[in-house]
Amino acid sequence: MLPQEGFALEQVSLRRGGALVLHDVSAHLPRGCCTLVTGPSGAGKSSLLRLLNRLADPASGQIALDGRPLTGYDPLRLRRRIALVAQHTVLLTGTVAGELAVGRPGLETAQARELLERVGLGGAFLSRPTAGLSGGQAQRLGIARALTTGPEVLLLDEPTSALDAAATGLIDDLVASFIADGGSVVLVSHRTTGVQRLAGHALVLRDGRLIEAGDPAHLTYPAAP
Amino acid sequence: MTAPAIPGWPAVAASAVLVALAALIAARARLGLAADVLIAAARALGQLIAVAAVLAVIFDWGGLAGSCAWIAIMVLIAGRVAARRARGLPRAPAVATLAVAAGTAGTLAVLVAFTVIDTRPHVLVPVAGMVVAGAMQATALTLTRLREEIETARPQIEARLSLGLDAAAAFAPHARTALRTAVMPAIDSTKVVGLISLPGAMTGLILAGIDPLTAIRYQIVVMYMLLAAATLAALVAARLARTVLFDDAHRLHDLATPFPR
Repeated sequence: MLPQEGFALEQVSLRRGGALVLHDVSAHLPRGCCTLVTGPSGAGKSSLLRLLNRLADPASGQIALDGRPLTGYDPLRLRRRIALVAQHTVLLTGTVAGELAVGRPGLETAQARELLERVGLGGAFLSRPTAGLSGGQAQRLGIARALTTGPEVLLLDEPTSALDAAATGLIDDLVASFIADGGSVVLVSHRTTGVQRLAGHALVLRDGRLIEAGDPAHLTYPAAP
Repeated sequence: MTAPAIPGWPAVAASAVLVALAALIAARARLGLAADVLIAAARALGQLIAVAAVLAVIFDWGGLAGSCAWIAIMVLIAGRVAARRARGLPRAPAVATLAVAAGTAGTLAVLVAFTVIDTRPHVLVPVAGMVVAGAMQATALTLTRLREEIETARPQIEARLSLGLDAAAAFAPHARTALRTAVMPAIDSTKVVGLISLPGAMTGLILAGIDPLTAIRYQIVVMYMLLAAATLAALVAARLARTVLFDDAHRLHDLATPFPR
């Protein structure tokens, strides 16, 4: 039987550009916690996230959310509920305010400022053009943009890769408060230290296969060199 | 007005001296193009004689049905040519042919409905030829530009899709870019018409002895219809491209993998 709460993957394989990037992955990503997805680069971590908001469908196998096949949901509504933040934020409009309006036209200024505060950019950023933003600022704007649709699941792909320690702490706090508010997070990270304390569950991928799953505090990955 | 200045066959044969001259220059300069010059000239001769023979038959006996059949053949050929520019785009021949057909049919329908032109074959077929050519150029430009956009703008499109936008909204900025590129040549040539070059229809009428003030009336119609044909064909090409580039789940196809047929 498929578990009822959260994502359930059953023998999922995914092809991209003709190559098999995920192979026979069966896993459970529970609700109400942060699932850490880790492993070496090229393991298929980002591809897994694309499956969860249906930017891709598996070549074989099945994915269910809360006991219902993912293909049974309206894809547009699904993507607003399951927000994906790509590793490299692609800016779309030229202004910070414009970015926040892409997924939610007519977003009120007060709400936009609040979202910017949540990702540690500050409300004053709202009137800025995106041209002068640093990589880290753009990444945080990407998270704020994803939050505009009011998602219940956040899919974060290496969200702190361009951030310094202080900004990384802010994103960690955001993840913790998102979960405390009843949300779920799937966090892709090639590092395990630091994020282990956030995560309630962990999956380790290597070469497109699931090699470990369980308590993040007791992972054998990364193995000693 | 003067009599039509149309060269006789001896004059045409004399003009072949120019081809010989071009071939000679190419040979002397070792461009490796002498054979190409001769082949191109011979091909043009053969093609035009064949087309003239077909047109003569259509004009004399074809009627409206024959004209429409000939226009359909032109649309099919133009669709194939435009699709070649869009290689890699799924179902490019069907998309291009439908776009050219829509641009041609829409423009001709208006011209006929408002009695700007009549449906006699010797009017309808040459006018349709110009419309098809304009629609073909716009279609090819639209599809070429869209293919480039899809190759480079996948992250932007997927970022919009990830925010819950549908395929139409995620694709719209890129479709707009392609449409601007496609329609710009028709706008530019409309802007400078008569200033930089005397356009074909007007030149033909003047050579045939028609007063320039009369000849421009035809040219104005030609410019307007070419603008319409280009815009209509480009719009239809972009719209159809969207349906073949995205699937039912509002996802951009992976251009590296084969498309469903």
